[in-house]
Amino acid sequence: MSTQDITPTRSVLMDVKKRINLSKSGYKIMKMKRDGLIIEFFEVMEKAKAMRDSVVSDYEQAMEKISIARAVEGEIAVKSAAYALKNEPKVTVGSKSIMGMMVPKVDADMSQCTITNKGYGVISTSAYIEEASKAFEKLLVTLVRAAEVETTMKKLLDEIERTKRRVNALEFKVIPELEEAQRFIKFRLEEMDRENTIRLKFLKGKKEAA
Amino acid sequence: MFGRSGKKGNYAYTVARVKAKKSTLMKEDAYSKMLMMSLPEISRFISESGYQKEITELTGKYVGVDLIEHATYTNMARLFRGILESSEGELKDMIAADLERWDIWNLKVILRGRSYGLSSDEIKEDLVPAGSLDVAHLDKLMSFETDDEVISAYAKMEEIVFPQEVLAEYRETRNLAVIEDFLDKVHFENLLVSVVPNSRPKRLFQDFIRNEIDITNLETILKLKKEGISGDDVMNYYIPGGKQIDKKLATQLANAESISAMANDLAQLDFYEDIKEALDDTNSLRDIVAALTKYHSDQARTFSHLYPLSVIPIVDFMIHKENEVNNIRIIARGIESGLDKEIIKGLLVV
Repeated sequence: MSTQDITPTRSVLMDVKKRINLSKSGYKIMKMKRDGLIIEFFEVMEKAKAMRDSVVSDYEQAMEKISIARAVEGEIAVKSAAYALKNEPKVTVGSKSIMGMMVPKVDADMSQCTITNKGYGVISTSAYIEEASKAFEKLLVTLVRAAEVETTMKKLLDEIERTKRRVNALEFKVIPELEEAQRFIKFRLEEMDRENTIRLKFLKGKKEAA
Repeated sequence: MFGRSGKKGNYAYTVARVKAKKSTLMKEDAYSKMLMMSLPEISRFISESGYQKEITELTGKYVGVDLIEHATYTNMARLFRGILESSEGELKDMIAADLERWDIWNLKVILRGRSYGLSSDEIKEDLVPAGSLDVAHLDKLMSFETDDEVISAYAKMEEIVFPQEVLAEYRETRNLAVIEDFLDKVHFENLLVSVVPNSRPKRLFQDFIRNEIDITNLETILKLKKEGISGDDVMNYYIPGGKQIDKKLATQLANAESISAMANDLAQLDFYEDIKEALDDTNSLRDIVAALTKYHSDQARTFSHLYPLSVIPIVDFMIHKENEVNNIRIIARGIESGLDKEIIKGLLVV
């Protein structure tokens, strides 16, 4: 805001004062939000790290189990069991709020995928195939949770960045400019007061001389 | 289909054929050599060990580990069908009943493939015609429009009667598990009926089948208990006719609180020593299943040389041939997927 655009009146001064107060309280709140988001981000980051480790270990286990199933039972038997599958996992996507920011909440429900209702016979389907199937179900649940945590982390990062920009804008641009405007108006008003006083004194002196 | 023919089998001829084939089976050291090879080397090695015809035939269709898997299955199917076709009388009945599991396997492959929307040509690639149903029969099964027609045609071919409640449940849920579990139970029932225990070797064979039923029952119970299925539901999958695990013991095992809690009930069984280390809820069932497979294979080996002119040497050969095919596949797939050599060794049945 350039000082040339400002009309130095008392009402503008009052308005600028109000805006300074509002900006300062906004700055305080934004700063608190930024700090809160950073704390939240570090918590989510720890979770994301743990989830990544879980994904890696679950993936390794699932791959080992499917490799063993394919070796012992053969590719044909494993493929055939996969063709028979009837139930698919249910993935529900919702949302939750973290400090006013909406983040996704994803759940994978594998409860309906029990050995007795998968679609293939229980007696002849080998334990190797069943263990591989279970390992992949576990991996799917872990992947869904990891996706939720990682998306939350990315959204938090974006929000922190946005909030930081707002805090900086308030701290280094909006508030200093408003304070500058306030100073300028005050100075102009004082100047105008002094001019008035001098003008009045001058008129009074002229009157006395006459 | 597995009714008694009343005619004595041609044991001498069939056993002589099988003995000649048995000498070509791979020895234990061949597996150790294969473990050190790459996939192309394994293909070459097995083609020099009796699989050349199949490798050459399928080389244009498959590559790598798929070529090995399909070639070994095709070789085994031809051998088994050769044994079945060369046998006569009661011997043929017993072999046909034993090989019925491949007919069931093929029916499962057809029904599962159709339910997934595969074409007949795609399904055909996965068939192993090692049972009494040859390629023509299987083609006929695949030619039907609906699954219900396939099931009833299979029932006619194998002379099986599907209970109405099984068919009704299948039609209502379209869950193939109902049909598959029924067929697996019927297979063991037919197998037991096909062996008339009127001689020592047949009694041994019957004991061998009953042992297989025990192992299948125990594996089923363990799989279901691991998933926390209730005892009553577990018993729906119980196959009667086992040697050591009768209905009472099966119920006790099915109602055990955990897998480790089964140890007391299992302690009386012959194979307890082989599996006791692995009986832990936190462990994978892999070790138990591998131990049970080895126990079953060792059982066949203990009596294989006892009665040279009986069904025993034939069954022994078929078990060892199947083990060979499985071992080649385990090594090839294990190497392809980078499994640890020790894990591969642990999976082999030698």
